[in-house]
Amino acid sequence: MTNYADDEDQAAKVDARQNVSRRSALKGGAALAVLPLTFEGPAEAQPTAPMVAGVAVEPAHSVLLSTSVNGKVVEFRVDARSSLLDFLRERLALTGAKKGCDHGQCGACTVHLDGRRVASCLTLAAKAQGREVITIEGLSDGEGLHPMQQAFIDHDALQCGYCTPGQIMAAVALVNEGNATSKERIREYMSGNICRCGAYVGIVAAIEDAASKMRRA
Amino acid sequence: MPAAPFAERARFDARDKVLGRTQFTADIQLPDMLYAMSVPATIAKGRVRSVAIDEAMKIPGVVRVLTAKDFLAPIPPPRGATGMAAAPAVPTIVPDIAYRGAPVALVLAESIEAAVQGAEAIQATYAPSASFSPLITSEGAAREPSEPVKAGNAAEAMARAATIVEAEYECPAQHHNPIETLSTTAVWSGGRLTIYEATQGAQVVKANAAKSLALDPAIIDVKSSYIGGGFGQKGTAQRQTALVARAAMLTGRPVKLVMPRGQVFHNATFRPLSRHKIRIGADASGKMVAIEYDADHQQSRGGQFPPQYHESQPQMYGVADYDGTTANVRIDTQAPGYMRAPHPHPASFAFEGVVDELAYKLGKDPVAFRLAHDAKVDPVSGHPLSSRFLNECIAQGAERFGWSRRSQAPGSMVLADGTQVGFGVACGAYPAITSANIARLRVSADGSTRFAVSAHEMGQGIRTVIAQALLRQLDIDPAKLDLQIGDTSLVPQHLTAGSWGTASVLPAIDAVAAKMKAAIEELLAGRQIDGNLHRKLATVRRPYIEVEVSTLAPGQEERALLGLRAAGYALAGPEYPAFTTFSYIAHFAEVHVEPRTRRVRVPRVVSIADCGRVVSLRTAVSQVRGGVVWAIGSALREETEVDPRFGGWLNNDLADYVVPVNADIGDIDVSFIDRPDPLLNATGSKGLGEVAMVGAAGAVANAIYHATGRRLRRMPIRIEHLL
Repeated sequence: MTNYADDEDQAAKVDARQNVSRRSALKGGAALAVLPLTFEGPAEAQPTAPMVAGVAVEPAHSVLLSTSVNGKVVEFRVDARSSLLDFLRERLALTGAKKGCDHGQCGACTVHLDGRRVASCLTLAAKAQGREVITIEGLSDGEGLHPMQQAFIDHDALQCGYCTPGQIMAAVALVNEGNATSKERIREYMSGNICRCGAYVGIVAAIEDAASKMRRA
Repeated sequence: MPAAPFAERARFDARDKVLGRTQFTADIQLPDMLYAMSVPATIAKGRVRSVAIDEAMKIPGVVRVLTAKDFLAPIPPPRGATGMAAAPAVPTIVPDIAYRGAPVALVLAESIEAAVQGAEAIQATYAPSASFSPLITSEGAAREPSEPVKAGNAAEAMARAATIVEAEYECPAQHHNPIETLSTTAVWSGGRLTIYEATQGAQVVKANAAKSLALDPAIIDVKSSYIGGGFGQKGTAQRQTALVARAAMLTGRPVKLVMPRGQVFHNATFRPLSRHKIRIGADASGKMVAIEYDADHQQSRGGQFPPQYHESQPQMYGVADYDGTTANVRIDTQAPGYMRAPHPHPASFAFEGVVDELAYKLGKDPVAFRLAHDAKVDPVSGHPLSSRFLNECIAQGAERFGWSRRSQAPGSMVLADGTQVGFGVACGAYPAITSANIARLRVSADGSTRFAVSAHEMGQGIRTVIAQALLRQLDIDPAKLDLQIGDTSLVPQHLTAGSWGTASVLPAIDAVAAKMKAAIEELLAGRQIDGNLHRKLATVRRPYIEVEVSTLAPGQEERALLGLRAAGYALAGPEYPAFTTFSYIAHFAEVHVEPRTRRVRVPRVVSIADCGRVVSLRTAVSQVRGGVVWAIGSALREETEVDPRFGGWLNNDLADYVVPVNADIGDIDVSFIDRPDPLLNATGSKGLGEVAMVGAAGAVANAIYHATGRRLRRMPIRIEHLL
C-alpha cells in the first residue's frame, strides 16, 4: 500500500511531467472552495474527456483530488465517498469502465492504477491522489489500436461488449505481469473478469496472440 | 433458390466495443441529470404501513423521494383482451408487497453517493402477512395444471413396451446475471417521454410504460441501441422503468437508475425451479415408442411464464406417441420468466438423461442409439419437418470428438493419477420461430446508408448479420453504414428473443434491397453509371432514396403488423401452415473427475449445430461457445437459493451465485452443418442463440455418469454429490 508521502512524491512527478504547477492547481481549487457550495471542475489542466456539468458537493464530504488520468492531469473536488469508478464515469464521462456489481466480483470496472490492475469500484477516487490512472480510453490513441484490442477483434473475444473494456485492461496487465505463459495460467489470471456471454475461448486466444506481439514491440 | 454460403466478416461493432466507446444505457450523460436509487422491501409479503423520508431528505444532495402516493392507478387491461394485451400493467411503487425486494421508494439525488446514502436512510414500516409460501413445497403453494401436449396414444404404446425407464429430474432456480444490470434513463421534455433502457423489447417497454403510467403510448419513445447481455432477463417489462419515468416527469429533469445487482436478483425475472418426471418405453428391437412426461415449475401468484416444457421433445426421436402434462406451482415470489433456452434447456437435461439411461439399460451406445431415431415428422402437428440434420450433427460431432475412443462401461476410463474420465453426448432442438418486420432504408449520395429495422443487439451479433446480408445485396459503403435498431421512434420494434432475430430480419433485408434496386433502376431510367449506389445518386443529383417495407412470417396475415406496432409482438412458428421446423445441435463433453477432491472439470466440448444457412460464421461460433459456457455453469455451478424463513434470494451477488469464470472453461470446438432450410425464408436460416445451450448440460451430466457410474438427476452437480 502506498503511503501519503509517496503519493505526494508521485504527484510532484506527475505534475512535473505534465508541466503543470501543483501550486497553481491547488490555488485554483482553493479559489473554487470559497463558493457556498463548491462546484467541481477542472482547475488548471484540461480534463481527458468531455466533463459532466458540475455538481454541488457539500464541502464536508469533498476532497481535492489531483491525479493523472490517461496521461493528463486532472484536478477535481470530489465527493469523499466516490469510488474511482463513479468518478471516472459520472464526473469525467469516461464510461469505458463498467459497473457490473460494484462489489469487486465481476471485473468489468478494471483500470490500471500506477500500472497495476484494480477494481475501480472498490477503489476510492481519493486513493488515486497523485497516481496514474489508465482506462480503456487511454490504452491507445483511438486511431491505431493496442495489440490487445486488435486481438480481441480478430478472435471475436467479445459479444455484448459490456465486460470487454475490463477484460482488455486485465489482459494487458496480465501480459505485463509475465503471466501469459500458458493457456492454463492465462485462464487462472483472467478469472477475476466474468464474461457472461461466455467468450472465454476467444479471450484466451486473443491474449496469447497479443502477448507475442506485445513482447516484440 | 437457396442462398449461397456467406463469407466470414468481423463483428460489425467490435471496434467500438474494444475501444470502450459503445454507449450502453448506464453510460448516458445528460445535463442536469438526477441519479436514482431504489429502496427494496424487507418483508416477503404484506403491506407497507409507512415510509419515513425525513432523514433521507436531510442528506445533502437528495432532491426528492418517491413513494406509492406519487403514482397513479395503472390502466387496467381492456375487457375481453387476450394474450399480451390482457397482461396487467407492471406495478409501480405500490403498498402491497408481493415479494421481498419489491420497491417501496425511489430516492432522487444530485449524485450517486447521495442517492445511495438517501436510500439507506429511508425507514419503512410494514404490516407483514401472517404467512407466506417461499418454496414449492411450502404450505399454501397452489398447484395449477396447464396446457398438456399430446400426440397419438402414449398409454397404449407404453403398454406394448418391452423396456421402460422412468426417472425424475430437477433444474433449480437460476438468475440470468448479464454483467450489465438493469438500467433506465428517462427524459420528460416537450410533452414527450423518452426512455433509454437496456431492453430486448423496446416496444414492450413502451406499451408497458404507457399502461403503468396511464399515458398515451404515442408520446413515448424507447431507445435500446446496445444491451450489455440480455439472456431473456431484459425481454419482458422491467419493474424500474415506470418508476424512473415518473421521477423524470415529476422533477422535469432527466433521471438515471442503475439497479444494484442485489436488487436485480429480486426484481428481475429468473428461471424457475422445474421438475421433470419422464417415462420412455422401447419395443423389443430397442426402438423408443412411447414418452410420458409430467413437468411443473415454480410460479409467482400472478405470473404468466408458461410451463411449456414440451416444445422440443415430441419431434426429437421420431416417437409418435407422446403424453406431456404441465403445471404451475404458485408461491410468493417475483414473477419468473424467460432465461436462455427457457424450456428446452431444463427439459433436455432431463429428457436426454432419461434417453441415456435407456440406452444403457438396452446395452446400446448412446450415439448409435440416437442415430437410430431419426425423425421426419412432428407428431403433434403431423407436419413434415422442413429441415432436420440432427443425425449429421451427431455423426460429425462423434468423429471430431473421437467418440470411438470411448469404452461403454461407466468408470472404465481412468487416468494414471486416478482421475475418472467420462465422455457424454446429448442433443437439443429449439423451435424456429420468426416475426413480422418493418424496415426503412435510406441510401444517400454522400456515401452514407441508414437502415432502421426491428432488432435489438445484445451481443448475439444481429448488427453483423444485418450488415452481412445487406452488403451482399447492395453496393454501398460499409464504413458509413448506420444500423438503427432498438428505437421505437424509427420503426416498430419486435421483442428480440427466442432465436428469431436472424430469420426475422433476413426477409426484411431481401425485400428492402429489392425495392431499393428497383427504385434506383427507375431513377436511372436506363442510364449506365459506374460506381456504387452513392455514386449513382450523386451523378443524377439525388440526395437520397428512401424505401420502406413490411414483411410477414410464413402463413402470417397482414394484421400481424398491428401486433408489431402496438405491443412489439407478432410471432409465427415453429408450426407453419404446411411445415414445422426446428434448429438442432449435438454436444459432446469430456469430463474429468478428480480422485480425491471429486472436482469436475470439463476440458473440452464439441458442438455441431444445424441452424440452417449460417449468415455470420464468426458471431455464430461465439454464440454456440457462449451457450456451452452457460450449460456448463448450469450443470455444475448455478443455483439461486431461497431463504425459507424470510423469503427472497440468499445468494444475491456474483460471489455467491457462481457463474463460470475463465478457469472453468476449456476448449469448445464448434462447427455447423450450414445447409439451408428450404421453406422458412429465402436464405434458409433458422435460429441459433438458444439451441446453442440446449442439451449441453445433459452432455456434461451424461459424461459424469460415464466417468463415475453416478446418475445425478439434479442440477447443479457439485463436489458433494460425487463424494
